[in-house]
Amino acid sequence: MLAAGLAIGGLGLLAGVGLAVASRVFYVYVDPQIIEVEEALPGANCGGCGLPGCSSAAQAIVVGQLAPNACVGGGPDVHTKVAEILGVEVELKEPEIAQIGCRYSVAKADIKYLYDGVYDCRAAMLLNGGAKECPIGCIGLGSCVKACPFGALSMGDDGLPVVHEDICTGCGTCVRTCPKDIITLTSVSNRILGEYTTSECTAPCQRTCPAGINIPEQIRQTVLGNYLEATRIIKERNPLPLVCGRICPHPCEFECRRNLEDEPVAINYLKRFVADYERASGRRLQLFKAPETGRRLAVVGGGAEGLTAACFMARLGHSPTVFEAMPKLGGLLRTVIPESRLPRDVLDWEIEGILEMGVEAQTGKSLGRDFTVASLLKEGYEAVLLATGGWDAMLMRGQEPNVEQSVPGLYLLLPVSLAWALGIDVPVGKRVAIAGGGEMALDAAKHCLQLGAEQVTIFHRRSQQELGLPDSELTKLSDQGIQLLFRSTLTQLKGIDEQLTQLVYRQLASGNGGDSIRSAPGRFKETFLAVDTVIAAGGRLPEMIFVKVPSLEGEESPLLWQTISPYHEPPPVRTEGVFDTSEPMSDYRAAVEAIGAGRRGAASVHLYLAGKQVIPPENMITTVTKVLDVGQVENLMPAEPRQKMPERTTEERVDPSLEVELGLNEEMARQESARCLNCGLICYTRSKYH
Amino acid sequence: MSEYLLLIVSAILVSNIVLARYLGNCPFLGVSQKMDTAVGMGMAVIFVVTLAGMITWVVQYAILNPLGLEYLRTIAFILVIASLVQLVEMFLQKSIPALYKALGIFLPLITTNCAVLGIAIINIQEEYDFMHTVVFSFASGVGFTLAMVLLASLRERFPTARIPTTFAGMPIAMITVGLLALAFLGFTGLVD
Repeated sequence: MLAAGLAIGGLGLLAGVGLAVASRVFYVYVDPQIIEVEEALPGANCGGCGLPGCSSAAQAIVVGQLAPNACVGGGPDVHTKVAEILGVEVELKEPEIAQIGCRYSVAKADIKYLYDGVYDCRAAMLLNGGAKECPIGCIGLGSCVKACPFGALSMGDDGLPVVHEDICTGCGTCVRTCPKDIITLTSVSNRILGEYTTSECTAPCQRTCPAGINIPEQIRQTVLGNYLEATRIIKERNPLPLVCGRICPHPCEFECRRNLEDEPVAINYLKRFVADYERASGRRLQLFKAPETGRRLAVVGGGAEGLTAACFMARLGHSPTVFEAMPKLGGLLRTVIPESRLPRDVLDWEIEGILEMGVEAQTGKSLGRDFTVASLLKEGYEAVLLATGGWDAMLMRGQEPNVEQSVPGLYLLLPVSLAWALGIDVPVGKRVAIAGGGEMALDAAKHCLQLGAEQVTIFHRRSQQELGLPDSELTKLSDQGIQLLFRSTLTQLKGIDEQLTQLVYRQLASGNGGDSIRSAPGRFKETFLAVDTVIAAGGRLPEMIFVKVPSLEGEESPLLWQTISPYHEPPPVRTEGVFDTSEPMSDYRAAVEAIGAGRRGAASVHLYLAGKQVIPPENMITTVTKVLDVGQVENLMPAEPRQKMPERTTEERVDPSLEVELGLNEEMARQESARCLNCGLICYTRSKYH
Repeated sequence: MSEYLLLIVSAILVSNIVLARYLGNCPFLGVSQKMDTAVGMGMAVIFVVTLAGMITWVVQYAILNPLGLEYLRTIAFILVIASLVQLVEMFLQKSIPALYKALGIFLPLITTNCAVLGIAIINIQEEYDFMHTVVFSFASGVGFTLAMVLLASLRERFPTARIPTTFAGMPIAMITVGLLALAFLGFTGLVD
């Protein structure tokens, strides 16, 4: 016994001494910072940073391959500590938490078969993608719960996982585990930037809403009596719920699944009810904001679009300033909508709320007159978003007919042609580009030549054959100095200080068949063209984002600027590019569409500032995307008929300043919200399942 | 000389440590996704196995046998192998940092690689002398490397193969390993 103990003990001692010696002999210098950083990291080896473990993460952080805030499991305390060790400033990471994207458990969804196999989602997934009919629904076997290294997930009574937000670190282990990709990591920024995609559970109303409000959740909160929470859900996507609740043409209601049974849920009345509730409560909701970035942004145009864009920029942590030509903010909402539909005190309250989010406003300042794009960029605004909307008939403004130039070198065709017809002198440069076709463009081109232009280029979206222009005509025009480019579109403007210098256009390679540039995106080449003047054949200027081109020559050099286009819905609804002559250039039919575009404008600026590509997610849902849906509904709960909006009597309506629609009362709102089917992709509330 | 040759052929092909004796499956499946890490792992195993074979042989005949402590063989060998792997790790970190990085987590895993312990124990059970031990251990390591390289070269082609989604990933790797083992069964009888 003693011998055995001694023998093994001696062997151990020998090995120990041997290793101690070896560690001296084979000593490798390790940066002490790496060891310190590794000690500061949580040591959960969750892999959330993308590296296999905390020790490799520590190495990558020290050599600079990872940012000090790369640890997702650690949170701000760890980030600060790591940054302290490295002696750098840390940009605190916005907290991200997991969010479950499925609302109907297997028991309440349409299923293909009964699963009775290995108790793991990934195993169930192998059997024809799981038991649910819905291809993106939760399988409900809790693989995510088992995978979570922090114990932040549990299975709820309804058979769906529940995230405990206070424990969740956003490491993403559950996201990687879930075979259905129904768990996503969200942060305030992600929710603002997010577009609905085909891999998400969305209701028909939600997909149709141009602003993308999560309508099922809004109404669910109304049913529960959480009216403020319902308002918050709306404001997450639409900062103008009081306005929209009154004037929105509610395309969502046309798609409401209740149409299959009786009448749609009065979604917009409900929106107005909860928004009015917030206002009546006298206390404004505080919306979540991303950490301050201190970056100054300018928004030109204080209408629905500009205000929305500025509000979302502020929520993304930036410091936006809105410039409005009129003495008061509100744009068309103030100048065009009658008071009987939208009382001005309601609008004022709403705008006040946006300003309270951290938006500055300068009213009575007009682009081109009081300030210019270049002057804003010089003042330190990092990007200028042009959201001037439909208010650009420059000739109409003021007493004397005059064509203002709000963007350097840029005119709209209509006011310019009118001015010329009236004999007003509008100068053009030596090199002119006209975006858009038609006889008017040709006339304008000829007029430009008379005014001293040497070269005029007309950009046509369609092909020569389509336009039916014979070659002889082209030769004639080019002899005069007018060149026509077919199947082409302008994508970018560039300039120096107050001068437009260059444009970038895309042209489809010839011989590709097809007709217009929109039918074959991707097969184009980009070309630069030096120009002094651009005349756009559209009713208004499209949204453009102006940014500074980084220059090596320091502060003294002239300011170089260029435009970037905010992303829209992908083709064929709207194509990329600055000018889209085949439609009235984002001339919004309703405030809610401008709100959607405003959010995308803010998102585009944010993406640009973050150094990312300004493009929408690949599988973004557009108005033409085909998604799984149901053609009929069955076993619905008994419900009251749709509520009617109480209105003022005809006698009372004599006073035009009194609002006609009075809004639902609480009882009516409760009854109406109970009619909602709380739809998912194909799920909805029924009286009995299976 | 032919005796050693037979021993080598036997250790590499007939009784391949992975495919016939089914030892060391963890690194076999774990590191065989890429050819370069597979080769690196194989080399580390050859090195460790040969060294471990020699040292454990010495431990057995110089310490355990004279003291009549043969029953402590397993625990003594584990101790020796564990320290040896530590040593190899330090050595690699100093001398071949590229290999050290490539092997990553799998180098410490050799500690628990039962192929190493298995070979050491086989050496004693078969009552090999020192030279035989060295040759057998080395050849077994080569056999392990051969199996690794074969599997890695097959697995590198998986991305381009049309694998049914149900089988993608580990299942198809397991099936491939099974087929490899079946093929190696064909060497039975090559050496007595």
